[in-house]
Amino acid sequence: MTSADGYVLIALCLIPLGTSLALFLVPTTQRSAVQALTGIASLVMLAFSLYVFFKYQFNGEQFQGVLAWTWMQHVGLLGEKGIQFKVGVDGIGASLVLLTGIVIVPATWVTWKIQDRMKEYFILLYLVTAGVYGAFVILDLFFWFLFYEMALMPMYLLIGVWGSTRKEYGAMKLMMMLLAGSIFIFTVIFALFAHVGLGTFDMVALMGAEKDVTFQRIFFPLIVVGCGTLGAMFPFHSWSPDGHAAAPTSVSMLHAGVLMKVGAFGVIRLGYQMMPEGGAYWSPALIVLGITAGLYGAISALRQTDMKLLMGFSSVSHMGYVFLGLGTFNAIGWSGAVLQMTAHGLMTALFFLLIGGMYDQSHNRDIPNFSGMAKQMPVWSIFFIFAAMASLGLPGLSGFIAELHIFIGTFRAYPIIGGLAVLTAAITTTYLIRVLAQAFFGEMNPRWAHLNEITWTERAGAAFLAIAILVLGLWPTPWIERIAPSIINIPGITL
Amino acid sequence: MDQVWIIPAIPAVIFILVALFGRLMPRQGDFLVILGGLTLVALVFSMFPGFQAAYHDGHFAPEGRNVFAFDWVNIGDGFFIIQFSTYVDAITMVMLPVVTIVALMVMIYSTSYMHGEPRYFWYFSVLSLFIAAMLTLVLSGNLIQLYLAWEGVGLASFLLIGFYWERQSAAEAAKKAFITTRVGDVGLLIGIILLWRATGTFDIQAIIAAAKAGAIDHTYLTVAMLFLFGGAVGKSAQFPLHVWLPDAMEGPTPVSALIHAATMVVAGVYLVARFSPVYAEVLIARDVIFYIGLTTAVMAGTMGLVSNDIKRVLAYSTVSQLGFMFVALGTGAVGAAMFHLFTHAFFKALLFLGSGSVIHATHAQEVEHLGGLRKKMPWTTATFIVGSLALAGVPIFAGFWSKDEILAATLHDGPILGYVILAATAILTAIYSTRVVLLTFFGEPKDHHAYDHAHESPLVIVGPLVLLATLATFAGFFALDQVGQALGFVGGIGQLVYLEHPHMFTQPDWLLAGIATLGSLAGIGIGVAFWHGDARRAVAARAWAPDLHALLVNRYYMDNLYQAIIDRVILGLGGVVAWFDKRIVNETGVDGGAQTVGYLGYRLKFLETGRIPNYALGMAVGLVAIVVVAFGMQG
Repeated sequence: MTSADGYVLIALCLIPLGTSLALFLVPTTQRSAVQALTGIASLVMLAFSLYVFFKYQFNGEQFQGVLAWTWMQHVGLLGEKGIQFKVGVDGIGASLVLLTGIVIVPATWVTWKIQDRMKEYFILLYLVTAGVYGAFVILDLFFWFLFYEMALMPMYLLIGVWGSTRKEYGAMKLMMMLLAGSIFIFTVIFALFAHVGLGTFDMVALMGAEKDVTFQRIFFPLIVVGCGTLGAMFPFHSWSPDGHAAAPTSVSMLHAGVLMKVGAFGVIRLGYQMMPEGGAYWSPALIVLGITAGLYGAISALRQTDMKLLMGFSSVSHMGYVFLGLGTFNAIGWSGAVLQMTAHGLMTALFFLLIGGMYDQSHNRDIPNFSGMAKQMPVWSIFFIFAAMASLGLPGLSGFIAELHIFIGTFRAYPIIGGLAVLTAAITTTYLIRVLAQAFFGEMNPRWAHLNEITWTERAGAAFLAIAILVLGLWPTPWIERIAPSIINIPGITL
Repeated sequence: MDQVWIIPAIPAVIFILVALFGRLMPRQGDFLVILGGLTLVALVFSMFPGFQAAYHDGHFAPEGRNVFAFDWVNIGDGFFIIQFSTYVDAITMVMLPVVTIVALMVMIYSTSYMHGEPRYFWYFSVLSLFIAAMLTLVLSGNLIQLYLAWEGVGLASFLLIGFYWERQSAAEAAKKAFITTRVGDVGLLIGIILLWRATGTFDIQAIIAAAKAGAIDHTYLTVAMLFLFGGAVGKSAQFPLHVWLPDAMEGPTPVSALIHAATMVVAGVYLVARFSPVYAEVLIARDVIFYIGLTTAVMAGTMGLVSNDIKRVLAYSTVSQLGFMFVALGTGAVGAAMFHLFTHAFFKALLFLGSGSVIHATHAQEVEHLGGLRKKMPWTTATFIVGSLALAGVPIFAGFWSKDEILAATLHDGPILGYVILAATAILTAIYSTRVVLLTFFGEPKDHHAYDHAHESPLVIVGPLVLLATLATFAGFFALDQVGQALGFVGGIGQLVYLEHPHMFTQPDWLLAGIATLGSLAGIGIGVAFWHGDARRAVAARAWAPDLHALLVNRYYMDNLYQAIIDRVILGLGGVVAWFDKRIVNETGVDGGAQTVGYLGYRLKFLETGRIPNYALGMAVGLVAIVVVAFGMQG
């Protein structure tokens, strides 16, 4: 990747932002214009994301496509570099950019059937998208935090206005918890700025600067709490099940699929990369939290009956794997963690798309109310079974390759915890297969005889995600080629 | 030989084609699947000349070689590599004909048996997936690749056992099979990772070499190999994870034939056989395998004695026979285990397909509704009897030879009690196989509706039966060195499979064979005595020990125990954690925190009185406090 490709990275932030602004100009009644605009914008984002992913080749340079414009310098405490609008990606960022591109396309498609204020919905949804892209590609703490908050804020309105099932409660809780997390992040940003004393918010400069070990040990956990809240890390996960249960389909897809990964990504960028010694010190704590979340989420999921709550707890469990992988602080566990972000993003997006497609008709998500749905909605059921298989870590689908790396990374340092992590996969199997046997097989419940198969746009979206899951599962090499060298290059990490 | 990857690739491609487009094809694409099956059999047999040549050159023994290797994952320039490759040796060459021949028979048979079923194309495509996964499994040179195929086999069996998913029982059986085997897979994956941790590679042959060179700590290796065996316990339905297999007959009968004979349950035997050089290093693990196998053989044999469902009896017999194979592996007699796998595949496939022929004709599978079918279904009866004789271990039939080798191995390398128990189980096998034959094909018809309905099955069903009956009769002769040499091998199957430590029983031990023959004849005699005619003795025997009968009918209450563990312990734990999350973490922690803030806000707002004296007082107090603190810090 050359620095000219940095313009593509900027474009990725600006396209959703521009689409949001352009949508203001489209009359609300012109639904097809909104659909056309968003359809094109999402496909362009996908194309650019693919470009970034495939153009990124590790060549010794950690960050590629780096472009910077100085916004403020020599003002007050700010020095030469000051605050810059600076972009650039490493292999981790590139893989997450691609994830965002893949998820946004079906998320856009399923939103087209919203009848109530679709235009406004898209304005907010694309603000979130811009924020997410920004968080993955921006290399300046000031703008990073700006985009980070831009990804969070619209969530309140999206859930509160378009949601279901205790939506005000879910939206408020989600917002409060995530903003509380932001305070921690905000604190660390300024602490880093002050401690390093270069007068710059440039992430690369801050990563390279000398930092006191005590400083790192004090401030690293703040990042884990702050970003971990967004990553639904136990015990700060409470917003996730309720928030997902309340959120409309595409918000759940984008939130569970991508936004939660921003949290884990923050732990990498602002935590480990800024404060590697603090990270090494606190890694055992991440291991404990990760495995606790894995088991806790999976065991809780055994007793959930609401499909979305089930997925919420399942996400807590799967994101627990991510933190477990990060806690190993070795290249295999980290590769697994980053792969798991992508893998979990794809399969949760698929799950929420499917649940939404059914809920829109039935207005019911209670698993015991369903049986034999494979008869009524075969296509929907096949996709759901597919997603369940990916989620329980069936080899050949995306989840396995990620989990395998995490398990092995964990086993290297902590064999017993590694064993518990493998056991979690068996619990995951239990809760998912139970749902399949209950809701999809058996005699059809005549109560749902009026339900139709999911729409063609939903089928297309589901097929799109399913193909991505298959590709990552069967041929993970392109991802690993990009992720692993970037990880090995991070100071302090072991092989 | 180098292009052996084509073998699993063919059914994999056919799976995709038929799954996606089968509905649009003529005959829903079943011809494509069968064509694939035929090609596979042809390919496998075309491999033999090359294999023998290479075999004599010493290519495949003792270390073999990996071909068609490519990196799937490579982190840190070879620090962490997953490299896919194929590996062919004698064990593979025993598995390949078994899988492909049985699969082809099942496919041909299914065209009639499944005719007119809904989702016909789906059935055939998953059949193809099943075979692709199993062939990948036996050709894998790498443990991760093996695990991938291993789970693929599990997925295909889940889909096929649950093929009639509209039936709640089928859905439950599929669920049970998947979750139970998955519990075993936890062990397998842990074992694989532990082996990687010690050797830094997933390459099977490299791991075996490292283990033999003593590069791995002995205790560590024992633990790892026990975990690995856990996977085999789940997949091969060994005690205590045997519970799924008898229920798995909820799938279509040809699928049972495939699962029981060629694709699913033998994977565990294959895995342990593949790692037999390592198990030879860790004798404690081998003892565990021996006793697990022995327990399973006896338990399943006794359960088979009382079951009234013809398929269920066969399922118990499979579990029991797999126990025999693990006993052999536990004594280190890999050749005997693989030989029994080989013969068992043919006669068990034959028996299942035969039972399918009966079910197809009568729409009944409980022996209470059958009987006297020999007059109406002569071919099915004759072939079923051949299969039963092979299962019972009557001389010249295939099961006789292989079971004899296992018994001989147990006597030489195992405890004497093990031999006695195993021999008794062999007698038990003869008893229950006789019982099923008598109750199904002989005597008076018990259900005239079913009997009147019965007719001999068409050629596509009888044809595979006859072919498998032929194999079930003659496959045992591979035990003889003369037969092996006549075919161009170094000797019989015992020599072929385990060249490194030539198996000591290259020729049958005729004394033991005589004892075994007497045993199986005695078993058949007992069977005839109890169940021939009006079965008065059988009823009397049941009345004599009702508790024992209940224990066996209820499968030693193990299914109930597991159900209780799931319902009470696991779901109970789920309930506790879910309650904790809802009440403590969420309502007390999160909502409680919010409510505390809200409550404080409500209380504290009364401090804002709006009266200036109050504020002035506050300011004065604050000023004094600051001054005091400031002076205090200075001095």
